[in-house]
Amino acid sequence: MAPTHTSHAPSMEKLVKSLKGQPLEASIDAFIYLLKRRQVKGDDCAGATAHILRQVVAKSKWHDVEQLLFKVQSVGSRLVGAAPHEPVIGNIVRRVLGLIRDEASEERNAEDEFGSESASDIQTLAQVTGPPPAARPAPTPLARPPTLATAASFHASKSKSMFNLLSVVDAASAPLTAASTPLSQAAHTSINSLRPEVLDGIEEILDEINQADDQIAGFADIQIHPGDYVLAYLPSRTVERFLIKAASRRKFTVLFVSLEDSRSAAGEGAHAALRKKLDAHGVNTISLASNGLMAYMSRINKVVFSAKVVYQNGGLLVDSGASVAAQAAKAHSKPVIALGGVYKFCPEDPSDEIAGETGDSSTYVSYADGLKVDALEVENTVADYVPPELVDVYLTNLGPQTRHHLAAILADHYKAEDVGFSLIPGEV
Amino acid sequence: MATEGSSAPAATPAAPSAAPTTPANTANPPATATAPAGTPQLTPAQLKAKAKAEKQARRAQAKEVKAAAAAAAPQPAPPGPDAKGGKGKGKQDAAQAGGTQPRTGTGPNLAHRPSMSGRRPSILVVEKDMRSSIPECFSHIPMAKRIPISQANKDVHPAVLVVGQQMATFAIKDSISRLGATLLAFRKVIEAYETPKGNSLSRHFVPHVLNPQIEYLTECRPMCFSMGNAIRLLKAKVNSFDIDTPEDEAKEGLLEMIDLFMNERITLAEFVISKNAAKQIYDGDIVLTYGRHRLVEKTFLKAKENGVDFAVSIIDDPYDRGGQELSKSLKEAGIPVYYSPNLGGLRHNVRRATNILLGAEAVFANGSVHAAAGTADVAVAATNTGKKVTALCETINFDRERVSVDALTYNEIDPEQHSSDGFRLLFDTTRDQYIAGVITEFESGTGNSPAQAILALLRKQEDPTIN
Repeated sequence: MAPTHTSHAPSMEKLVKSLKGQPLEASIDAFIYLLKRRQVKGDDCAGATAHILRQVVAKSKWHDVEQLLFKVQSVGSRLVGAAPHEPVIGNIVRRVLGLIRDEASEERNAEDEFGSESASDIQTLAQVTGPPPAARPAPTPLARPPTLATAASFHASKSKSMFNLLSVVDAASAPLTAASTPLSQAAHTSINSLRPEVLDGIEEILDEINQADDQIAGFADIQIHPGDYVLAYLPSRTVERFLIKAASRRKFTVLFVSLEDSRSAAGEGAHAALRKKLDAHGVNTISLASNGLMAYMSRINKVVFSAKVVYQNGGLLVDSGASVAAQAAKAHSKPVIALGGVYKFCPEDPSDEIAGETGDSSTYVSYADGLKVDALEVENTVADYVPPELVDVYLTNLGPQTRHHLAAILADHYKAEDVGFSLIPGEV
Repeated sequence: MATEGSSAPAATPAAPSAAPTTPANTANPPATATAPAGTPQLTPAQLKAKAKAEKQARRAQAKEVKAAAAAAAPQPAPPGPDAKGGKGKGKQDAAQAGGTQPRTGTGPNLAHRPSMSGRRPSILVVEKDMRSSIPECFSHIPMAKRIPISQANKDVHPAVLVVGQQMATFAIKDSISRLGATLLAFRKVIEAYETPKGNSLSRHFVPHVLNPQIEYLTECRPMCFSMGNAIRLLKAKVNSFDIDTPEDEAKEGLLEMIDLFMNERITLAEFVISKNAAKQIYDGDIVLTYGRHRLVEKTFLKAKENGVDFAVSIIDDPYDRGGQELSKSLKEAGIPVYYSPNLGGLRHNVRRATNILLGAEAVFANGSVHAAAGTADVAVAATNTGKKVTALCETINFDRERVSVDALTYNEIDPEQHSSDGFRLLFDTTRDQYIAGVITEFESGTGNSPAQAILALLRKQEDPTIN
């Protein structure tokens, strides 16, 4: 979605403040409302989700780990259901769930001296080394080959994944209860010590999200060389920071591209500020008022844009049009650098429905022209999918990554039993 | 009447009073009045004739000197002075009379349009200002510019003036429309042309009449390849006339050639291409196109006429929005249309489409297709998805000399989108590996030849019927 920061969308700080001031249920509802209205979107989703989950852990009543996991899972599925176009929400929920499991198992291990590995760790190992247990229900995307599927199998995966996420699954077939049974032994462990531990962990996740952009920017001068012509597609906050950091070390030229008419009010302001900063560092900026990018690509050295989500196959969910940039770069054998914190890495497969998300068409067709409104079936796509073969470097807060290393990163950050968390029948 | 009557008496008393003070002023009225009577007094016409005779004498002298110089040191462009000499008689002005040897040597341009040399610098300054914001690395790319009619060369025919303005403002935009308008305007130029005494059309027309028109049009907007091709053929036709071909016969021949040209290369070509391309659309197809191109539009309408049941998916250029017009006209014909306002949904659109029809502005000798910016992105996406990409193009748009491998070799900057903080290229270049076939008016059997076969096509075009 094009980052048009409209004035009525609350800023991150305001949002967090208002959520804090309300009772838990009210703040969850308020957040879901904002998600549905797309007033919270893009990079803000991750932070906001972490804030909400922190409140869930802090404010809700729970007596054992099972209950806490259930609470987080059910709130998580509601959030994911409210914004299926923002898979990053699911990532954060999974991170928090994994965090709770880790803390709980630590507590338990500390208590009884068996020192045996928790079930979840075993699960994780199984996930990394081999196919998951057959008992696992539909969304077992980790087992899927990381290739771009044909249209038919895309359809199949679609019907399996996002839109069935919230449907009620036979409790007996849900493996998660079974997987987490060992934890119930730890139920009697002191939950008093668990709560602050988990809250600290969420705080760490928040820090990671907030610092990701700066950490990514830290790699800027490795990627950008003096004299480069860098194409920045719809520069997001991450890309802005990356470019400014690079500008402090290097002399290069930035070519901006925006999908819309560059003279439209919202885009102009954001761009102008960035251009000013870059100019101050002596970096040339050129803005391309263009849709197609093949024409300019022979001049360009590398393409930089930020990913909304990195799927487990290496594909990206991006702002509409970035795939045109990536494709043009590939046609000219120019490197494509996708920026995104590790928290954007998603243990799911891309869904066609999400990538074809369409948006407001009024900027393109005047509703005053009845004939045109009548004649046009406008499809203004706002989110787009970049297939993995078009991406050369995934630049994360942990440094540059390649497609072949993604599975290891995912295994490091998510517990296998949380991948399909939103299948748990919640208190919706 | 009343005002005239009052002003006349006022003028008469003024004249005598002015007479003694300014002899120059008084010289004229008496001259006209006493012309039949006084032999010492010359009429302006006589004065002119006398000046001309003197000038001619000087000129002949200069020529002799020059010929001597030429014998000593070889001079470039030998035909220049010859043509100039003829022309000079017609319209030299007094300033030229002082023409010394180096002056005549420096050139036809200075000699035949003194007004031009006067205004050139100002134009250049204006141009610099407008172009100063174009980044260095794109600064070689030309841009159309509006030239006030008052600044145009006085030799430019009014019909050409109008066409130039229309091109500069993009009222006439695509290659074939520009070609058509140019040819029609040239037709008027030829009709209005009268060979000056002592000249022949085959020697005089091109350098003194046609070239200023072409220069003006090029200044308004860089020529498109079809115009270049047509003008080359037109000049060849003029050169093919004998020096003593009667003017009427030559003019008739040129007009006939232009008519034939427009019929064959524009009207007929359009008909044949749309007919052949329409044959490649089948029931149930979803045909993807980019922007609005005349040939593609004709093809869709033709296919509908043939009773094919298909849908069209239009990807538009948000800076041009021609696709909206196309969408309207297709809807009127009853063709279902999907409309994407930008390239954002490209992947989705390409995967849904069964085949892709793109209109080309020109085709280079290496098979690269020159078309509206964004076309290459569509072609690449389609080829990567395994869809067939067909380009439609008249052979008049084929350039057999120029080769382009990237879009920065031959391009134009969009004057509309040009501002201090951004710019836009009008065209891009699609390499031949992304084009499965080009449909032209030749190859009537299949109507589809690979872009690589371009040179073979051009050889076919060396058809004696045209030249």
